[in-house]
Amino acid sequence: MDIKIIAQTIIYGIFSGSIYSLVAVGLQWIFGITKIINIAHGPLVVIGSFLTFWAFSLCHLDPFVAILPVTLVLLLLGLVVYCVIFYPLKNLIGHERVHLSLLLAFGLMIILQNGARLLWSADERALTTALTGASLEFIGVRLPYARLAGLAVALLVIICVHLLLTKTYFGKSVRALIDNPQAARLVGVNINLVHLFSFGIGIALAGSAGTLIAITTSFSPFGGMVWTLKGLIVVVLAGMGNIRGVFLAGLVLGVVEAIGAIVGLGAYREIFGLITFVLVLMFKPEGLFVRGGRAA
Amino acid sequence: MLEVIKINVYYGDIQAIWDISLTVQGAEIVALIGPNGAGKSTTLNTISGLLSPKSGTIKFNSIEVNKLPSHKIVESGISMVPEGRGIFPTMTVWENIEMGAFLSASRKIKHESAELVENIFPPLRSRRKQLAGTLSGGEQQMLAIGKALMSRPKLLLIDEFSQGLAPILVQSFVKTIEQINKSQKVSILLVEQNVHMALKLANQAYVIEAGYIVEHGGTNTLLADEHIVNVYLGGGARDSGKR
Repeated sequence: MDIKIIAQTIIYGIFSGSIYSLVAVGLQWIFGITKIINIAHGPLVVIGSFLTFWAFSLCHLDPFVAILPVTLVLLLLGLVVYCVIFYPLKNLIGHERVHLSLLLAFGLMIILQNGARLLWSADERALTTALTGASLEFIGVRLPYARLAGLAVALLVIICVHLLLTKTYFGKSVRALIDNPQAARLVGVNINLVHLFSFGIGIALAGSAGTLIAITTSFSPFGGMVWTLKGLIVVVLAGMGNIRGVFLAGLVLGVVEAIGAIVGLGAYREIFGLITFVLVLMFKPEGLFVRGGRAA
Repeated sequence: MLEVIKINVYYGDIQAIWDISLTVQGAEIVALIGPNGAGKSTTLNTISGLLSPKSGTIKFNSIEVNKLPSHKIVESGISMVPEGRGIFPTMTVWENIEMGAFLSASRKIKHESAELVENIFPPLRSRRKQLAGTLSGGEQQMLAIGKALMSRPKLLLIDEFSQGLAPILVQSFVKTIEQINKSQKVSILLVEQNVHMALKLANQAYVIEAGYIVEHGGTNTLLADEHIVNVYLGGGARDSGKR
């Protein structure tokens, strides 16, 4: 097979993988901190895409500029959703919390999907930006500008998450809480407040992913579940609770799917991703990028 | 300073402690001793706000802390070293120390407090960048106590610091705890299974059995008490400080 086709495939895999990563980082962030499995993450990503569409069509904002207001709106939406839906679970721990949060998130998903259909109709949409169609040729490999910019933004967002975790007191309290919730309470961390803001930030991450999806592919009100599933696969590949491994795991899934698409047919794309998922669960269930020493 | 008045604590429907009352005066060391499952840790966890009593009050410098969430209790000047160290294993030693000064008031004097803690436990200074989970047991205990001191508490609650430590290390921690008590004017309430050591270290002690306080007094009196000697000190006269 032509080396250029392989290079092109891997590059495209990395492009879509970076979006998987961004979706999964939000999902992982929320699960790791609050122990809520936010099945509604994908539908929230789609809300982010539609808000970008609004910013573009109503306010004539460039989608790359729209990423800031959209992320901010989703942050606020996340705070509201946490207060209204998930705050009542605050005293639950363990399985009870995980299970009930799953049910609540499922209900939220249905509300969001139908809400999106009412507001924006069931049509599939895509945006045409200044960058659409243009691309860079690099030793015979085509690199669309919109995709390149999307990759850069995804990287930037994930670096911001990393800095938030390591350089700020909020981030340190988040890591302390993941490490040892009881000890975190004992040094004065207000767990409910950390949960609230972490949930908000997780949804803001969904918003930024939504904008990138709006820029690079198409989206529709009921397309959110796909993103939730991709996100969950990446989270399992990276290892539950491991926020930093997610970026790499997302790229792995993207590349595996892209290779699957040229080895088999386009329709086998998903299957290759799922086979990887099953293989990882069978042979390295703790995740690809988990190092030893983490408390369970 | 600390006044616990008739607290009753439940785990779900099961009552763990009955009408526990105890007091800790300024700058003294008080020990809470008793067998496994008697309610010692439950008592400590209730004072620090990890558990809340169904009835009874806990007053600290005349503030009713039993109505406060645990992060507010730290603010009032109570700090706890929980059983099993209570450090953050995937964070560095320095980040653990920083987390000890999480509250805004202690954050302002973070570097002074760190200086003080690292003078008490010098190994922590040289290991600042190491992950806390990779420290030895003794060093983890140093970090746990050091972290608890970073909020500049007036009362330090210590749960089973001797657990899993070599006897020689226990001796050095006993000295350090005395030093913290004297030089920092910190009152200490400790829970211990190593009864002999606890009674030597403390000024006063309470004995808890099956959720009730059964005895209370100065440690010198208790060391001579027949029940204590028979049940906790292996009976008979004992002059060596070992075990």
